[in-house]
Amino acid sequence: MNLAEELIEELNCEVVFTLHVGSIEIPVMESVVVTWIVMGILILLSVFLTTGLRTQNISKKQACAEFIYEKLTSMVGGMLGEEAKQYSGYLITVLLYIGLSNIIGLIGFKSPTKDLNVTIALAVMSIILVEGAGIYQHGVRKWLKNFTKPVAIVTPFNILDVFTRPLSLCMRLFGNVLGAFVIMELLKIVCPPVIPAIFSVYFDLFDGLLQAYVFVFLTSLYIKEAVE
Amino acid sequence: MNTLIAIGAGIAVVTGIGAGIGIGIATGKACEGIARQPEAEGKIQKNLILGCALAEATAIYGFVIALMIIVMLQ
Repeated sequence: MNLAEELIEELNCEVVFTLHVGSIEIPVMESVVVTWIVMGILILLSVFLTTGLRTQNISKKQACAEFIYEKLTSMVGGMLGEEAKQYSGYLITVLLYIGLSNIIGLIGFKSPTKDLNVTIALAVMSIILVEGAGIYQHGVRKWLKNFTKPVAIVTPFNILDVFTRPLSLCMRLFGNVLGAFVIMELLKIVCPPVIPAIFSVYFDLFDGLLQAYVFVFLTSLYIKEAVE
Repeated sequence: MNTLIAIGAGIAVVTGIGAGIGIGIATGKACEGIARQPEAEGKIQKNLILGCALAEATAIYGFVIALMIIVMLQ
């Protein structure tokens, strides 16, 4: 029963402090605070990497920054295809955020992606971007018409897709992060000293980064489909 | 009551069978494809990861449901 209580405790996101704006009370959750930490790390890193840029005689720091940028843009741009390249900035940001928040559990913080609200927000943002890209590319009329393609009878399924896609996106991310966490906790109980450390490389590092990749991959696939 | 909850959670996790079979078939076919055309490895790998993620999702849904059964019904 000890484990069940621990699980419930991990599932519940605690309120860290409450903001008072006039008479309204805004509870600030743990996941929000950890998100601020992730944001802080990313902002500091990008400010550090992009100060003192030069066109000639580049420093090692700038070479590193250029390498990261080139790799990420070519990866996400390749997934998006030629027509939807302008959305790669958002997707790279999401990739970095999810990737970092999945592996921030390693240094003792509670991953924000283990909170269902965070993954729901990410999935809703994704579906808004997908449908927005479709409207931007085709205009409202053609976008509505695209629901009846390829044959008119699939229209209900296409409309259902708008709701099932974000649901499956958020559940996949949440379930994977939580699943990896639960398995790690069980391993820590069953064989404490060395073995959890080995499995942690797979479950925390590899799986966390893979899920960030999968999330971005699926979103880019949907965008690609929407702008076609 | 606790036994029933445990049995229900166990049944929910049976969804893992489908994901296992699906990922197994996908990986097998990917290996065949790479053996036949080694130069297409990159593309096959990309699609394999996507397919595995989609197939894996069913197992994850089962896991989430099982966890919810345990946590909510207690």
